Amino acid sequence: MSAGLLQQMLIGALLGLSVYLPLRCGQLSLATPGFFAIGGTVAALLSTRIPAFAGTGATSPLPALLLEMGLGGLLAALLAWAIGGTVLRLRGIYLAIATIALVEILRVITLNLPFTGGALGIFGIPQPFATASGYAGFTLVLLALVCWLCARLEQLRLGRAMAAIRDDELAATCVGIDTAAVKLNAFVLSALLAGLTGALAAHFLNSWNAKVGSFDASITTLAFVVFGGSRTWLGPVIGGLVLTALPELLRPVGDLRLIVFGLVILLGPVLFPQGLITPQALQGLGHGLVGLGQQLRGYGHQLLERANGPRRP
Amino acid sequence: MDLIQLLLNGLSLGAVYALFALGYTLVFSVLGVINFSHGAVFTLGAYFTYLLIGGQAGANGLLAGLQLPFALPFALALPLAGLASALVALLIERVAFRPLRRRGADSLLALISSLGAGVILVNLIQLLMGAESYAIPIGTLGALPAALSLGGAQVRTVQVLLLAISVLLLVVLSVWLEGSRSGKALQAVSEDPVTAQLLGIDSDAMIRLAFGISGFLAGVSGGLVGLSVSIAGPYFGISYGLKALGVLVLGGLGSVPGAMLGGLIIGLAEAFVPAAWSGWKDAVAYGFLFLILVLRPQGLLGKPQATKV
Repeated sequence: MSAGLLQQMLIGALLGLSVYLPLRCGQLSLATPGFFAIGGTVAALLSTRIPAFAGTGATSPLPALLLEMGLGGLLAALLAWAIGGTVLRLRGIYLAIATIALVEILRVITLNLPFTGGALGIFGIPQPFATASGYAGFTLVLLALVCWLCARLEQLRLGRAMAAIRDDELAATCVGIDTAAVKLNAFVLSALLAGLTGALAAHFLNSWNAKVGSFDASITTLAFVVFGGSRTWLGPVIGGLVLTALPELLRPVGDLRLIVFGLVILLGPVLFPQGLITPQALQGLGHGLVGLGQQLRGYGHQLLERANGPRRP
Repeated sequence: MDLIQLLLNGLSLGAVYALFALGYTLVFSVLGVINFSHGAVFTLGAYFTYLLIGGQAGANGLLAGLQLPFALPFALALPLAGLASALVALLIERVAFRPLRRRGADSLLALISSLGAGVILVNLIQLLMGAESYAIPIGTLGALPAALSLGGAQVRTVQVLLLAISVLLLVVLSVWLEGSRSGKALQAVSEDPVTAQLLGIDSDAMIRLAFGISGFLAGVSGGLVGLSVSIAGPYFGISYGLKALGVLVLGGLGSVPGAMLGGLIIGLAEAFVPAAWSGWKDAVAYGFLFLILVLRPQGLLGKPQATKV
């Protein structure tokens, strides 16, 4: 596996987590690619227009990248915060459609603004890392950090409130959870994550255009979560890694690869309605590991006994 | 451009959107799910029409150079293409919807699996027919002239035809839904599938019927758009599909007259976007969609849904 593919997979995992956050409180938002596109556009504009961001050496300075990620994420989060209040009143399929519309509106705006390069987009985005492995290393650290935060979130009050809303919104309201605020938090966090991932992806891809945030991307990122499972943070991570790698791994079957990809998306929900990774599966795996450990310890004792001879009374 | 031509452009575009949105509505009303393979079936209908009128497959697909041994007139090819698309829609129901329905799975999952079906169809078309665009020649209409004189203005015959066929289908569908036994049975299923079943209506058959009609409508509108603006490659149904989603929500999900009204509004609004602003045209449908969702989520003609506890 090349470092370039690994980098794409890691970005897939980050986007999967961005879709997962609203879904954890039962909100089907497909807006992630729109926020991803915003982050990337911010990074592409800053680093190609402002000399300080491009730097003078062979690679652009790392602090500039971090600043762009921060600004891209912040802008996406601000937009999410501004529209979240009204959009999140919608439920189920209506929210999904509204967020598809948002992504499409953002795409048309990017396409028509005078400074975003139209259909061709922005080219020659400076590189903070000389190699793909540099990117992959950085993104791996970022993903680990985000995973740790998500795992923490699931234990925290906010994370548990999110799960309560997903299971029963009315009941959650009745026990005193401010459901509107919790949903807005999840939506804003999702946008923040997608925005900063976009800033990173723009550098890695070297060029950025309006096509990045399209309906196709909405569905692909949703597929990450549905495929991996939306009950725990590990699901979307695995889904993002596997489904991003799949079309590349299927390259040997040539023209058939997108058809096979379609088959996976078609059959995935039919065969695994809960997704691949569920808490039950993890628990089962955990029990399995503990059992395996105990068995190994037993073998160890036996071996020791054989080596040392029978114990003296 | 002439006002009459503009109006006609808007009306015919709106009628196509309405046909498209009706296909979504039929399936949504019985299953409560958006069928995301609808755009791919639309594309398929256009390709079927192209092949049935004797069109030749391009050089880039597996079927390079293939031509059917007969060439049908458009009037015959269009309904046949619609029927073939209906069969494909039935197949999609069987593979992507029924297994999930049997398990009582979350409707979100059918959204994904139907999308998978769409991805397969679109890429299958690309594999077989290549990525090039195809035009349905105007000569297939027989002796009809290319332009008609209407109230002193010259208008394209194709547009008039597009509008006439769409309106005819919309009327037939409305009369069938309101007046016939099977149409009422379909409405009963959309109201409450379990009760309908208890009343002796075969819910599964009605769901299949909804998919069949929806596929037929998609196929026919695909053929019509192919005739009017050419088939721009395997992906061309997707943008129509997304805009039809806007039409659907504007009119009210699950409302048949709503889908027609929504199609009309968005079609006319797009046609009247000035040429200098044509880049922003695509934002019109989504802008409407966004506004209506925020102001009146049930749509113009939809009924507000009470949340059940």
